[in-house]
Amino acid sequence: MGDSQYSFSLTTFSPSGKLVQIEHALTAVGSGQTSLGIKASNGVVIATEKKLPSILVDEASVQKIQTLTPNIGVVYSGMGPDSRVLVRKSRKQAEQYYRLYKEPIPVTQLVRETATVMQEFTQSGGVRPFGVSLLVAGYDDKGPQLYQVDPSGSYFSWKASAMGKNVSNAKSFLEKRYTEEMELDDAVHTAILTLKEGFEGQISGKNIEIGVIGNDRIFKVLSPSEVEDYLQEAE
Amino acid sequence: MSRFEESAPARGGFSFDLCKRNEMLVQKGLKPSSYLKTGTTIVGLVFQDGVILGADTRATEGPIVADKNCEKIHYMAPNIYCCGAGTAADTEAVTDMVSSQLKLHRFHTGRESRVVTALTLLKSHLFSYQGHVSAALVLGGVDVTGPHLHTIYPHGSTDTLPFATMGSGSLAAMAIFESKYREGLTRDEGVKLVAEAICSGIFNDLGSGSNVDVCVITKGKREYLRNYMLPNPRTYVSEKGYSFSKKTEVLLTKITPLRELVEVIEGGDAMEE
Repeated sequence: MGDSQYSFSLTTFSPSGKLVQIEHALTAVGSGQTSLGIKASNGVVIATEKKLPSILVDEASVQKIQTLTPNIGVVYSGMGPDSRVLVRKSRKQAEQYYRLYKEPIPVTQLVRETATVMQEFTQSGGVRPFGVSLLVAGYDDKGPQLYQVDPSGSYFSWKASAMGKNVSNAKSFLEKRYTEEMELDDAVHTAILTLKEGFEGQISGKNIEIGVIGNDRIFKVLSPSEVEDYLQEAE
Repeated sequence: MSRFEESAPARGGFSFDLCKRNEMLVQKGLKPSSYLKTGTTIVGLVFQDGVILGADTRATEGPIVADKNCEKIHYMAPNIYCCGAGTAADTEAVTDMVSSQLKLHRFHTGRESRVVTALTLLKSHLFSYQGHVSAALVLGGVDVTGPHLHTIYPHGSTDTLPFATMGSGSLAAMAIFESKYREGLTRDEGVKLVAEAICSGIFNDLGSGSNVDVCVITKGKREYLRNYMLPNPRTYVSEKGYSFSKKTEVLLTKITPLRELVEVIEGGDAMEE
């Protein structure tokens, strides 16, 4: 990346001390589809809208929530192709960690490495920042964890968070509804209700996606019929 | 993989400079460092529902038994296992590496790994190292296309067979297979035949010994029977234990603490920034 005409970083400071490209990246995230995550006492749930551009798209072929390791899953808001690159890199990093230490990667480590990648793309030549924010849900020896990673490379641990369109309404809804003692099933219902708040049209198992991880430490994306069951319970 | 940065060529590929140097040193009379060889009997066979792999458990370092109960059946994927003969470090490193690659591949495709995928990854790695990675493998598993059994030689050639043996005890084990193998064996018959072949290697080959490990892989299930048979138990263990009388007397014990060496520099300069 050093000997081309673009060996300078495209992300440069403005006079007010802001990195405008990152602000614009956050705007790209803010216009993406809503996604949210809730950390319960015995697990984590992440959910997202799955609005397809046309009814002709085969929704079974689209999966927004991805597994990084058997006990860590991720959802994004923003540009889908950018998230694919990050998911691929994160999976590889998790595997390299396992190869070296023969220990499944702890959630914080994987988040940190993913965030490092995102930061590198704000300070390298010829590249632009990623246009996604990620919500990483995992369960390891430290218990259930939920992290949000932004295009700038900063990451925070959340009890509950939302991103994308409608984020302020979703966050205030979550603030009201969240309790520390919440269990995983309640968290799933709360997630569904939060998504429903800003949903245009009829919510169903086919236009939202939910991923959960419980005490069994296995991340699972729920099938459309399982989502329908939760939807009916939440009514 | 670790490459020696100083002598690595600009484009990929293995640098053989050190191999030339090693051969030159051997010619000059340097004894090559001894490494742990497995000197093994490993076998595999296809039965009616899947694949059975078997291995002995002795690891040798020249004439010495270095490990009496090592594991030679390595995990590659939930539905694929691999027995390794040759240099123990090579077989473990190469199976570990390919197992890691298969795991990433499973994430990306969302599908169960296929035996031919593992086969191709292993053979291309071994070929690119031109036989210097001394790993002779018996790879077996069951995937969507059915049960498969392959042998892989250190230089990277492969065979696809209904029954296979590798290692120093391969001739002894092959004798058993050639006389008793038939198509459509049941699970119990297959396990019995594999155990018999490994025992033949254990008793007739010096490089193989100790116990028998068996792994049965069928569609959707695998059973790793570690130490399935123990045909070489320690027959006599003295209950009294052993006492070794002291032949030396301790005359004097004196501990001299080392003096602390501290130099005090008066008016020294402050550390420069």
